[in-house]
Amino acid sequence: MSPPEGGPYPSASVVSGLSRTVPGAAYLLAILIVVFTIFGSGFATTANVLNIGVQSSVLLLLALPMTLIIMTEGLDLSMGAVLSLAGVVLATLLMRQHALGVAFAGAIGVGLAFGVANGLLVVTFGLPPFVATLGTLGIAQGLALVLTGGQSVVDIGEALPALYESRPAGIPFSIVIAVVAFFVFRFALARTRFVSYVSAIGGNREALVLAGVRANAYHVSVYALGGLMAGLSALLLTGRMSAGHPTAAIGMEFDAVAAVIVGGTSFERGKGSLGGTLIGVLTVGVLKNGLNVLEVPSSLQVASIGVLVIVALVIDQTLQSVGRQRTA
Amino acid sequence: MRGIIIPHAVKDATPRLEMRGISKSFPGVRALDGVSLDVHAGEVHFLLGQNGAGKSTLMRVLCGAHHPDAGEILLDGAPVRLASPADARRLGIAVIFQEFSLVPYLDLAQNIFLGRETGRRAMHAEARRLLDTLGVTLDTRAPAHELGVAQQQVVEIAKALSQHARILVMDEPTAALSAHETERLFTQIRKLKADGVAIIYISHRLQEIARIGDRVTVLRDGKNVASLGNLENPENLEHPENLANLVNLMVGRQVDTTYRQRFCERPGDVMLDVRELEARNGVTGASLTVRAGEVVGLAGLVGAGRSELARAIFGADRVKGGSVIVSGQVLAGRAGRGSPVAAVRAGVALVPENRKAEGLALSRSIEDNVVLAGMRRLFPRGWYFARAAATVAHDIVARLRIATPSIARATRFLSGGNQQKVVIGKWFTAGSRFFIFDEPTRGIDVGAKAEIYGVISTLVEGGAAVLMISSELPEMVAVCDRAYVMRDKRIVGELQRPELTEANILRLAMHHESA
Repeated sequence: MSPPEGGPYPSASVVSGLSRTVPGAAYLLAILIVVFTIFGSGFATTANVLNIGVQSSVLLLLALPMTLIIMTEGLDLSMGAVLSLAGVVLATLLMRQHALGVAFAGAIGVGLAFGVANGLLVVTFGLPPFVATLGTLGIAQGLALVLTGGQSVVDIGEALPALYESRPAGIPFSIVIAVVAFFVFRFALARTRFVSYVSAIGGNREALVLAGVRANAYHVSVYALGGLMAGLSALLLTGRMSAGHPTAAIGMEFDAVAAVIVGGTSFERGKGSLGGTLIGVLTVGVLKNGLNVLEVPSSLQVASIGVLVIVALVIDQTLQSVGRQRTA
Repeated sequence: MRGIIIPHAVKDATPRLEMRGISKSFPGVRALDGVSLDVHAGEVHFLLGQNGAGKSTLMRVLCGAHHPDAGEILLDGAPVRLASPADARRLGIAVIFQEFSLVPYLDLAQNIFLGRETGRRAMHAEARRLLDTLGVTLDTRAPAHELGVAQQQVVEIAKALSQHARILVMDEPTAALSAHETERLFTQIRKLKADGVAIIYISHRLQEIARIGDRVTVLRDGKNVASLGNLENPENLEHPENLANLVNLMVGRQVDTTYRQRFCERPGDVMLDVRELEARNGVTGASLTVRAGEVVGLAGLVGAGRSELARAIFGADRVKGGSVIVSGQVLAGRAGRGSPVAAVRAGVALVPENRKAEGLALSRSIEDNVVLAGMRRLFPRGWYFARAAATVAHDIVARLRIATPSIARATRFLSGGNQQKVVIGKWFTAGSRFFIFDEPTRGIDVGAKAEIYGVISTLVEGGAAVLMISSELPEMVAVCDRAYVMRDKRIVGELQRPELTEANILRLAMHHESA
């Protein structure tokens, strides 16, 4: 793999500094866009493109930390449930006439608390991530139902819906939040040591420990970040529905995992890419939206995500083995 | 000890590093027993010993990963405490382990500066400079998983250099390097020496001592057995007689051979016939035969390709050329590339090195485990008969004398020796006649070892054949009728009794022809 002597080095990929290969999903996304543009009237309109952005924003907020968690060879199944809980906490506080800032702090606090709990269970108590977060999933879901008696919290006042409907510089609020979040992850976190250490936790934890880094602290904080982002997502989800619903985000963690995998992040050896995850999220968003435009029955749309994950991985595997043969 | 080996005289200068009376025990094992070692600035100190002699443990103490039960460590004459890897690093101690400490999906600069990050640009520039001084052209933006072993080695050295290491430990740095790459590494080491770095060098390649070594310390069973060398007169180390003595020092006294009652005098039919085997995993030109009634050893150093050969014979790794014939059935050759299914049906059993990961379903009972490989034979119609399974399990527990209150006990609660017996018993139910044992007694206490040897004896006396991989030379010599020795993924020699001795195996395995 070494470049010719003295010659220019191959340039780092635009997609990510962590993975120099373009994920298979990038090709898939391009194909989907072309197909839907040709066959779906009303797909390639400004309104619909913004719609895709809005629909994808919550998924992106969850998929970003999920990428890092999966890079540590972990998993967070509780994200959807924690998002639901944070949403009803947010809505309940608003219903009781608290200021939006206070309510938002409450939602973030709930998310962070669950995130830290997940991290401690996995890192300190050594539980398998699947088991630990399955447990917190149940707890968060149960709390959300108890808190609301299973009903939606509807009377949340004007402040949040108004914020959600706002369009800074003509761009929907949720897209602004998602873009800011992406840049924070991609440039603030990935340009600092944080993402390096995350990759090292999954790739060679011993190396990180021997390098004198407090690997446990970083490992916990990855899960804490997941909870925090679930809390932040509650702002958008509750704003969109103008209500808090205890089961609003059920199963959303699986969409997030699907988007992360489609984006080329692997469950092994710390391989991952935040840029890839963005492509994965957009692919999921475009596919869902396009099938809607084509008026495909929603039951088939569920299956489409499954097909997407498999096709994207097959493309990745094929590209990889082709690449290996070239270098060999 | 005769000849020119002289006890090392204490030099006047204070050593850069001195380890005194280091002891370390793990549950059931005394890994280090009062070991002492010192290194001077600008010196390469060879640390020799067989596998399990305590070299790696000593080095893990030095890098702060293990805390010694007793003993002290002095740096430039002043006692220091190494509570953590961070402490060791701060004091300028860098260790390059055999298993590299690179993170696969970080680039080279990120790997070199892991835990000591600076700006991105600065890191790449400095990494570039370090790699340049080492005379290699590597893209500092390449992820580590794209590198070959030799390149990874270079990155590890760059990492150590970047830490301004004053004491550098290298654990078998040349094990995976070609002659050319080794030459380059030695140039680097000489440069480091000139810069006053104190180097501890672990290697099995004795001929390297004369090339770059200044002194030698030999460990055996966690104790110092010799410290030798003469800084003024390095030719002493080159003397063949000294090298021969080193081998003897590493091996120790010959252990009495009471492992097997009698050896095979008249071997039966050819059970395994391997000709010019080439495999994807690197094994080249391997030819060997094992006859019924024989225990044949497969010796060599770690990484010599023994497990790879076994896996190729078993069909677990793809065969590229040559043939594998078991009891007249062609497993690999023109007919096919081999597969574990075909091997098991031909009566081949593999008792793997890592019995917990590859040999047992740990949470399942003895009964469940032993019937696993024999399902097709025990229950040809597909229906599972619990009573038949229990009968078979009881029979195997009795025959192998597995110490357990019941056949329903989960195998995770058994001792290492009894677990190993369950793995062997599993193949009894499959009707296997040719057994491949990969490190059958690793991590098993002495009493259980004797029982495993007993099982092996019973097997071959009953007409089966055994191919045994072992890194424990006394075991190899005491149990095997003959042995093949491997080096660099090839078979480099065959030793018949009485030539089958520890020293002869080591000589072949290490490529040390003199003496």
